[in-house]
Amino acid sequence: MNNSPSPEGPESPWAQISSALRGELGDGVFDRWFSTASLESLDAKSLTLAVPNSIYQVWIESNYAAQVQAALLSVLGGKRKLKFVVTNGQSFSEAPMAAGAAPEIEVEAEEKARDAFGLNPRYVFDTFVVGSNSEFAHAASLAVAKSPSRTYNPLFIHGGVGLGKTHLLHAIGHHIARSKRGAKVAYFRSETFTNEFIQAIQTNSLVKFRKRYRQADVLLIDDIQFLGGKERSQEEFFHTFNSLFEGRKQIVLSSDQPPSEISQLEQRLVSRFEWGLTAELQPPDMETRLAILRKKADSLQVSLPTHVLEYLAHRIKSNVRRLEGALLRVASFASLSGRPLSDESIEHLLRDILQEEARRAVNIDQVQRKVAEHYDVRLADMTSKRRPAHIAFPRQVAMFISRRLTKCSLQDIGEAFGGKDHGTVIHACKTVQNRMDKEESLRQIVRFLEASLQR
Amino acid sequence: MKFTISQDAFADGLTNAVSAVNPRSTLPILSNVLLQASGDTLTLTATDLDFTVRTTVAAKTGKQGSTTLPAKRLSTLVKDLPKTDIDVEVDAKSVATLHSGAGIYKIFGLPEAEFPGLPAFDGSVEFKLKSSDLKDALRKTHYAISLDETRYVLNGIFFSFKGDKLTLVATDGRRLALAEVNDLEIPKSQEREFIVRTKAIQELMRALKEDGDVVVRLAQNMVQFDCGPTTLISKLVEGNYPNYVQVIPTKVNERVTVEREALLNAVRRVSLLNSEKTASVRLTFGKGNLEITCNTPEVGEAREALAVPYKGKEISIAFNPEFLMAPLRYLSEDEVHIELIDDISPGVIKINAPFVYVLMPMRVGGA
Repeated sequence: MNNSPSPEGPESPWAQISSALRGELGDGVFDRWFSTASLESLDAKSLTLAVPNSIYQVWIESNYAAQVQAALLSVLGGKRKLKFVVTNGQSFSEAPMAAGAAPEIEVEAEEKARDAFGLNPRYVFDTFVVGSNSEFAHAASLAVAKSPSRTYNPLFIHGGVGLGKTHLLHAIGHHIARSKRGAKVAYFRSETFTNEFIQAIQTNSLVKFRKRYRQADVLLIDDIQFLGGKERSQEEFFHTFNSLFEGRKQIVLSSDQPPSEISQLEQRLVSRFEWGLTAELQPPDMETRLAILRKKADSLQVSLPTHVLEYLAHRIKSNVRRLEGALLRVASFASLSGRPLSDESIEHLLRDILQEEARRAVNIDQVQRKVAEHYDVRLADMTSKRRPAHIAFPRQVAMFISRRLTKCSLQDIGEAFGGKDHGTVIHACKTVQNRMDKEESLRQIVRFLEASLQR
Repeated sequence: MKFTISQDAFADGLTNAVSAVNPRSTLPILSNVLLQASGDTLTLTATDLDFTVRTTVAAKTGKQGSTTLPAKRLSTLVKDLPKTDIDVEVDAKSVATLHSGAGIYKIFGLPEAEFPGLPAFDGSVEFKLKSSDLKDALRKTHYAISLDETRYVLNGIFFSFKGDKLTLVATDGRRLALAEVNDLEIPKSQEREFIVRTKAIQELMRALKEDGDVVVRLAQNMVQFDCGPTTLISKLVEGNYPNYVQVIPTKVNERVTVEREALLNAVRRVSLLNSEKTASVRLTFGKGNLEITCNTPEVGEAREALAVPYKGKEISIAFNPEFLMAPLRYLSEDEVHIELIDDISPGVIKINAPFVYVLMPMRVGGA
């Protein structure tokens, strides 16, 4: 009786801890609460006990934690963090995570094969370079990963392409999957959600579909903006969202725009997305870009001269993915050709990327000039309040192109066009888009204007 | 829609319904209460989607119909109106006009169509029991519910309809209260176990009447309590309740019967000399005598003695006074039985009815 059914011998740490505990607690209490417990693992930081069911965990944590620590102190000379695994059923602190997880193991097996929930193994917090641009989003993600559904729910991460939204989402998934046993992490792109929803309607298997999404403990949805305009999907997602949120399951969403700017997204979804925390990822600054390049170069095990890295960091500003692509290209060129890299050779090598980058440099002023010139109206008409059609429409085209080519917000654009509000800009964009859909000639004009602006 | 209602009935109904409204709701319609007038009744419904209250009150319907009005505002207003009949008329634009004495109040509402529908409980598993029995069992257990949100499975009362009885259990890890309602007829196929959230428990205790029956219906993850004029619908707590049986001591050494109120009063007075940080009272059982003491450095000490028919060996055991007083407050029996094992094992309080309260002792001065 003195020993637990664990495989260790009589002088094992657990045997010693047990006898210390027995002395501390008395036979009655010990036999009731500890005789069926066994040592699952013991390391420098923590002690994990295997107990038959969750009531043991509740009771030991609430009533005997101090005595267990005292026993640990006397046997091992130090305290340990007390953890539990429940051999028959689910562990308690992880119950919110593991609720309903047990019967789904087979269903999940297929997903696990795809590298645990379809997450990219390289996208973890350790490989994320934090700069002032991403500090907030990173901190929020980390907080969510550490205590899911207790801190920020939902967490909404938005930012331009290639700035690390997906990276953060995967990192949250990895962290939770690793720290909570049996947690069911569901990572999907919103497109997958829509496709599966359509398929579920076709095959009449909505129940299965709902089960799949609503029983997740952590739902990570990437590129949520693609739900825009898909009404039934939005409705379905609305219910999924509610049922998870009510079940205190963590929801993390990413998008390339803040919730309120996603087009054709129902207001009730927008308000829900804004409910928790919204964190923005901005393009990295010079130092961060350099740090990203160094880290990437390390992980690729290539070494490039500092001036090359600096050149890349200096020239490619908009997007981390492109930065990494450029690095890879330069690195493979260097190793294949064996020649030292000069700025000219890099420029030649990366000409298409650099050209793309240059496209970012378009500003509203240039757009206004170009459009005014093309439609043969005065530049002043771009900012005036006059609204005859031959002036108003070019102005709308200019707003539309400004929206597409510059990174300015709706407000900024409105402001630059003579203090219009953002609604006017949205209206302009819609009008132009509608007419473009119908008129080939307008499509050509816009294409021509955009091309000449980016040249 | 048009109806006439007494201020009393309207205020009561609204007070019941408003309890379901979440003041931080993000959907405007959920801040509203649904009013449905028809025949001799007015039905009031409010919900936060997790929890719904529906209650009917007597009213004279002039023209039947329904609308929704801001719950908090309406309830505050109606409570403050003079105790006469109120005439309510709602136009097609959901604007309600209340006539009360010399006062006229116009309140802007929202159309009924926006109000969420109630979950259906057709063909669900159903249990019927005496309203007073359930109320009594809830009173005896609800105070032991855990407030610790990290153990959310314990944030509610465990209901087990099994065999021929309903067992209610609440625990927070340091104490456990269990009460039973016996003599129910539950077919094997209908045995169910589920956890009802704290919020629903509180409202249920208010809604249950002293006479009549309550019908409990269960559908998927929702439970409905039909208590006559008021019906509550609540989402269940997801997850499995821990196996509480392990907590209840099987073998006790000493047993003594104590007058409930005398013990409660003595513990309350003695515990007044506790400081906030270390709250404990010590119960020392000796031959024919129970001594209740409390000693707090820099505050003072207290000692009271009760004559009790105790014949066992001397046991001195310390409890958290709040935890010790809670069952004594909510029980109605004149006498309680205290069962003890030794100084460091849990104490048990029982009565002459199916009820058990297990309370862990405090280890004063120990590790």
